[in-house]
Amino acid sequence: MSNNEAESILRLEGVSRHYVQGDQEVSALEDVSFAAARGEFIAVAGPSGSGKTTLLNVCAGLDRPTSGRVWLGNRDLSELNRHQLARLRLEEVGFIFQAFNLIPVLSAEENAEFILLLRGVPDGERREKVGALLKEVGLEGMEHRRPGQLSGGQQQRVAVARAIAAEPKLVLADEPTANLDTDTAFSLLNLMERLNREHGTTFLFSTHDPRVMQRAHRIIHLLDGRIESDQRAAVRQM
Amino acid sequence: MNSLKIIMMIAWRNLWRNRRRTILTAGTVSLGLGLLLLFLGIGDGSHRQMIQGAVGMGSAHVAVQARGYQVRGGIELTLSASQVAQVSSWLQSRREELGVTHVLRRVFAPGLASSADGATGIRLIGLEPDPEKAASAFDEKLVQGKFLTSAEEYGAVIGEGVARKLELEPGEKFVVMAQEAGSAEIQSLLLRVAGIMRTGLEDFDQATILVPLPTAQRLLRLGDNVHQVALMLNQLDDSEEIARLGEEQLPPETETLSWLELMPELRDFIKIDDGASYVFNALFFLIIAFLVANTLLMSVLERRREFALLDALGFTPTRRFLLVILEASWIAVLSVAVGTVLGYAGHLYFYHKGLPLDIFYSSEVSAGGAVLDPILYSYLSWRRIAGAAIMVFALTFLLALLPAWRGAKGQDAHLLGQL
Repeated sequence: MSNNEAESILRLEGVSRHYVQGDQEVSALEDVSFAAARGEFIAVAGPSGSGKTTLLNVCAGLDRPTSGRVWLGNRDLSELNRHQLARLRLEEVGFIFQAFNLIPVLSAEENAEFILLLRGVPDGERREKVGALLKEVGLEGMEHRRPGQLSGGQQQRVAVARAIAAEPKLVLADEPTANLDTDTAFSLLNLMERLNREHGTTFLFSTHDPRVMQRAHRIIHLLDGRIESDQRAAVRQM
Repeated sequence: MNSLKIIMMIAWRNLWRNRRRTILTAGTVSLGLGLLLLFLGIGDGSHRQMIQGAVGMGSAHVAVQARGYQVRGGIELTLSASQVAQVSSWLQSRREELGVTHVLRRVFAPGLASSADGATGIRLIGLEPDPEKAASAFDEKLVQGKFLTSAEEYGAVIGEGVARKLELEPGEKFVVMAQEAGSAEIQSLLLRVAGIMRTGLEDFDQATILVPLPTAQRLLRLGDNVHQVALMLNQLDDSEEIARLGEEQLPPETETLSWLELMPELRDFIKIDDGASYVFNALFFLIIAFLVANTLLMSVLERRREFALLDALGFTPTRRFLLVILEASWIAVLSVAVGTVLGYAGHLYFYHKGLPLDIFYSSEVSAGGAVLDPILYSYLSWRRIAGAAIMVFALTFLLALLPAWRGAKGQDAHLLGQL
């Protein structure tokens, strides 16, 4: 194992994911290999159907590769059962989705503290942390609103607060800005970037928006399930 | 603890996302439980009426007899005066504790009754008129004349069928013949009809003649011996326990039997009736179960994306399974609460007002050796309520297993990207 591999928070080796649709086998990912180091801010770019969502799902253990291996930290996901994978996600991975995906019956505050609740963080500590986070994402005063009472941008901020509240090592975001207006999208990107910078959280997010790609420190281009390019950019100064 | 709290909270709130569906589901189960309690109450009530009716017609809640009398029924199998005294002293210190309201001595014998107009086989019952009047229902069944008194040594109350066959009226005389105990000698006695009774039990009315205890003892040459010491209780449900105590504590030459052993036909009828009722109730709940199972499964299938989200957030399969089970449990809690109130309210109504079935049958209908009262009064024990509630919980839990397994299974990550 090289030093880079040892330091990587996420590593994929020869990952392929094939689906069977009717009589045909469809390849969503084909021989994908890369590693993400701690604190990286990586965009996975590519057109619709290029395999971005499948890649993120495979990275989180939500989907199993047909072949190849995925390591999260030093744990080989292929060796974990569904229960262990869920525990691993709870402990180490934060998720932000294109479709916001908040739990509709919980308030903004309850959604944001959801992971902490499952981890058994004491009430006081949890409330304090979530209160500060909601303030940080600009949702102060909206703590008790249900997702249905929040705008798309506000819901996505709650999702970000939920994803980072438990200080995961890795945040996976599937087209987090796709359903947001430009201002809200950039404000969200600023927030993600700040969290990356200040907390050292590794971000791996998919996008096909060139404006979002510009903000990434590294861009992995996917085309038809294969890595077309893996480029590093100069870190943008805020 | 925190995670269980949030799972319970999500489960509770999930119920009210589709208020109408939850109300309909819980309402269906509540109604089912309410009706079940009502059926059980009326069924148990009618059974108790039959038992009490039969007890009032010469049987007992608990009876002490010479060992073997219940099976063989020989006239010579009697309790001596000293054995009766032993029973009295056994009861003396604990009569109140055991809830014994009346202690009645009785004699039974087959015989032949004849008048100028004919003869018929009879069953003679010798009893103590005053205590029996207070404890039994014979007095209430008189259609002519009056009940026995201690003063009228040769008075007899006869069944309507006996009166018809022998063409007897109150005040008229007839002769009863019976074999004396312990010998082949036939003894006879001239009696006068004091009253005629109609109990509704055909066999009973066709053959029963009641006479004062000393008269029967004299006829049968029994001395002070009796065939039975009958105990009447405050609580029917105590019968078996008191019979068990009697078996343990009274002399081994005696047998102490509860109504279940004294009236095996009635016991078996109730068992069969209960069995049929259980099958009917089970079928009824099976129909409800399919409706509830369908609702629970649909509610999970239409939330596949949500379960995928929970999976992505680290909500383990066990927790997702528990979430669905808790959703079903909340429905069960609501249903049991509302269903019990509904069932109990129905029970209270029929406990006080009764369910009149006299348009279907008269008071002369009998089954298992007891008369079916045309007005049924509900009787609902807490044991029945608890049993029904546990059944609803258990059934809901079973019905939730498949949806819970589906919710725990996950594997719907592809839905997370959908709007």
